[in-house]
Amino acid sequence: MTLAAGIGYALLALGPSLSLFVSVISKKPFLILTVLSSTLLWLSSLIVLSGVWRGFLPLKSTSRWPYGLLIFTSIAFQEGLRVLFWKVYKRLEDLLDDFADRVSKPRLYQTDKMEIALAGGLGHGVAHAVFFCLSLLTPAFGPATFFVDRCSQLPFFLVSAIIALAFVTIHTFSMVIAFNGYAEGNKVDQVFVPVVHLVAGMVGVASSVYLSFISLQA
Amino acid sequence: MAIKFLYLLLLFNFHLRLSVSGQLNSMESVPDLQKSMYKFIDGYPCVRLLNLSGVIGCSNPGREMVVAPIVRYKNAIALSQPSAVLVSSDEIQSFFTRIWHDSSFAGNIAGVIVESENEFQNKSKGFSPAGKFPLAEFAPYQNTSYEWNPIGSGIMWNAYDFPVFLLSESSTLTLQEAAIKNEKSKKAYIADVAEFDLVMQTTKAGTHDSETCLKEETCLPLGGYSVWSSLPPINVSSSDQSKPIILTMASMDSASFFRDKSLGADSPLSGLISLLAAIDALSHVDGLDDLTKQLVFIFFTGESWGYLGSRRFLYELDLQSEAVRGLNNSLIEMAIEIGSVGKGFNQGIKRFYTHTAEVSSATNETLKALKHAQDSLKSEHIIVSPANASNPGIPPSSLMSFLRKNSLTSGLVLEDFDSVFSNKFYHSHLDNISNINSSAIVAAASLVARTLYILASDNKSASGSALTGISVNVSLVEELMGCLLDCDPGLSCELVKEYISPNSTCPNHYAGVILDEPSFEPPPGYVDDMSRFLWNFLADRTSIPSENASSSCSQGCSNKGAVCVREETDGKGICVISTTRYVPAYSTRLKFESGIWTVLPPNSSDPMGMLDPVWTESNWNAIGLRVYTVQDAAYDRIVLVAGISVTVLAYLAIVTTRAVLTKALKRD
Repeated sequence: MTLAAGIGYALLALGPSLSLFVSVISKKPFLILTVLSSTLLWLSSLIVLSGVWRGFLPLKSTSRWPYGLLIFTSIAFQEGLRVLFWKVYKRLEDLLDDFADRVSKPRLYQTDKMEIALAGGLGHGVAHAVFFCLSLLTPAFGPATFFVDRCSQLPFFLVSAIIALAFVTIHTFSMVIAFNGYAEGNKVDQVFVPVVHLVAGMVGVASSVYLSFISLQA
Repeated sequence: MAIKFLYLLLLFNFHLRLSVSGQLNSMESVPDLQKSMYKFIDGYPCVRLLNLSGVIGCSNPGREMVVAPIVRYKNAIALSQPSAVLVSSDEIQSFFTRIWHDSSFAGNIAGVIVESENEFQNKSKGFSPAGKFPLAEFAPYQNTSYEWNPIGSGIMWNAYDFPVFLLSESSTLTLQEAAIKNEKSKKAYIADVAEFDLVMQTTKAGTHDSETCLKEETCLPLGGYSVWSSLPPINVSSSDQSKPIILTMASMDSASFFRDKSLGADSPLSGLISLLAAIDALSHVDGLDDLTKQLVFIFFTGESWGYLGSRRFLYELDLQSEAVRGLNNSLIEMAIEIGSVGKGFNQGIKRFYTHTAEVSSATNETLKALKHAQDSLKSEHIIVSPANASNPGIPPSSLMSFLRKNSLTSGLVLEDFDSVFSNKFYHSHLDNISNINSSAIVAAASLVARTLYILASDNKSASGSALTGISVNVSLVEELMGCLLDCDPGLSCELVKEYISPNSTCPNHYAGVILDEPSFEPPPGYVDDMSRFLWNFLADRTSIPSENASSSCSQGCSNKGAVCVREETDGKGICVISTTRYVPAYSTRLKFESGIWTVLPPNSSDPMGMLDPVWTESNWNAIGLRVYTVQDAAYDRIVLVAGISVTVLAYLAIVTTRAVLTKALKRD
């Protein structure tokens, strides 16, 4: 598919996150740090999950439910981590507010808080996109393309890029909604995020476009 | 409000995810993905060969790989774009004929892929890419327009500037599926393509004949190592060397359009196998030392490419070189050649023909001995007849070299045909084990063994129990056929593994190139499997045990006249006394000095050398064939534009949202 297509797929998956980074995140160094640390946190969660699931892999079942269980536990763990992330963030917010008080500068605005949440979500999203789409993209730079039998209208790499784009969006906005929910005590928001994440993950299992890649990562 | 907007975006993504479905892949990693994208096809290439006046064979037209969509060949089609044409086995002849006559068709051929033969195919048509009179220029008679091989189309002697591959059975299905997918596909922007890597160094370097390519070292000359042996071993130190010699010969090399699929089962390997079986039968005879004549056997290689082996052997004989120590040219009384004998079986009767050159006393004696042997084998229903008198002379055979050198040589060729080849697949990739019959080979072997015994024992003990005691081991013949003419068991069979450790399992009898300096004791790495097997087999069968028999001979054998047999197997060679030697086989027009091959000018004392095309084979880096799917370049560009536009749109959306939010917050 050559260089043009490879770059196209990469931009499709990570272009909006790049735009977001350039226009919002890069303006404030603290947000860059937030992106990096949330990426690290997400990747560490994957490592822990893979450590836990290592004993059960490779899953030799032809049916889907072991994969379903794997995704369910992974998502549950990551949502749990999100709460932890929130608690750490809350502590950090208090520290920053105290510091601001001491130097007589204004406290964190609502937009600042949302930007931090956005950066956190972006970190998760970028990590997912890099891990699950960009890592598969190397063959896309060669002359050949690839079609999967169940979805023969679109090349495999295009499907993977679109899914990665969707997940980036989900992760980015989930964090904002979740932090908002935790801050205001809004139960609907608090539940909405894990539910969307879970449903997206389960649909991924059902469509099973890259199931074995997931088991590979884990 | 912003939150609601975010909700909407999430739900949209959720919907998008649902509509995309895929398939449970069994891939575990990116290399697996790569492997399922690019399918490597195992095939047999046709390579570039050069002679003094030009080139033949196939090659990529430049330095690049050739990539073209796969199209099936049907007689009426016209190609709209450069394509990789998939040709079925029975259409090869018509396809190549069409290329020769239809230049617009030929211009759109990027590459050719030939399917492997279908077992239900009609085998009565025959196919031979060789000429109608192979190696006619070397014939010792004038009538060179006689058609020994009327089916011959001569397509392997033309030059093609596109790659040609022959598929194995498993890869034929892959290519057929790809071609069908191309035909059925409604999408114009994807196609299954074949990528040919057949880049030849002579094409890259621009050397288009043997002399320049040898000088530039972009090619190597064809050749190998012939093997000769004597039964019983010649005592070189003894002064009594005046026993007349009966020389029996066979060839070990064949040729075909595809270099790696040259089995040559009938022509000439059936003769080689029958001679090996005859030697085995004779080796069990008592009183070999009392024979009045010396039996010498020689197996030539390079015969398909201008009788390289036989010409070089005669040259070495004249020089009395180290390779032929113990042989004296003047002592050779009779030269008998075992040609193709594998098809001499018809409804229970084994029929062979003797082709002779001039009538002489030695030839008459041989014919009488053959008759005597035939009579002693009455129960086998063997009939030996002289060849048709209207033949212009002997068929293409190594005996031609002997006759060109000395037209008075007494020689005889034993073949399974009379006036035209009975082999319908001469020098083709289809001349395989199903083309011959083991009973014919066993019959020929019995005939040859008894004839040689009769000739060598000078009629004294020619009749009676000694003669009838000579019997050919049928299981040896069948084992040799399985080892040398089939991939299963191939060269990994027990018989071959007893003597050598072969480099490959599937046997192939293309002469190959001669590596490094030709020598009389070549390093085993430079000698091919067939020659090494023959050397060890002959040395073992014609041997008498040495004194210290059980000693391993890694340091060579102490006894003069002893050689080390079975050296490659488990490191335990045995020293035996045997006269078995390698003779290099290469053109008499070539000379190897200071690391480079040079072409010698024609010499009138070497008439065959003057006609020799001096065949060489181009060097290459890698040869391969891959199949994968490509999408149109326009599609790639659309994807790139989509990616860029998504990025830009996202940027604009973010900037707009930020402006809206700032304004909204300012209002608060």
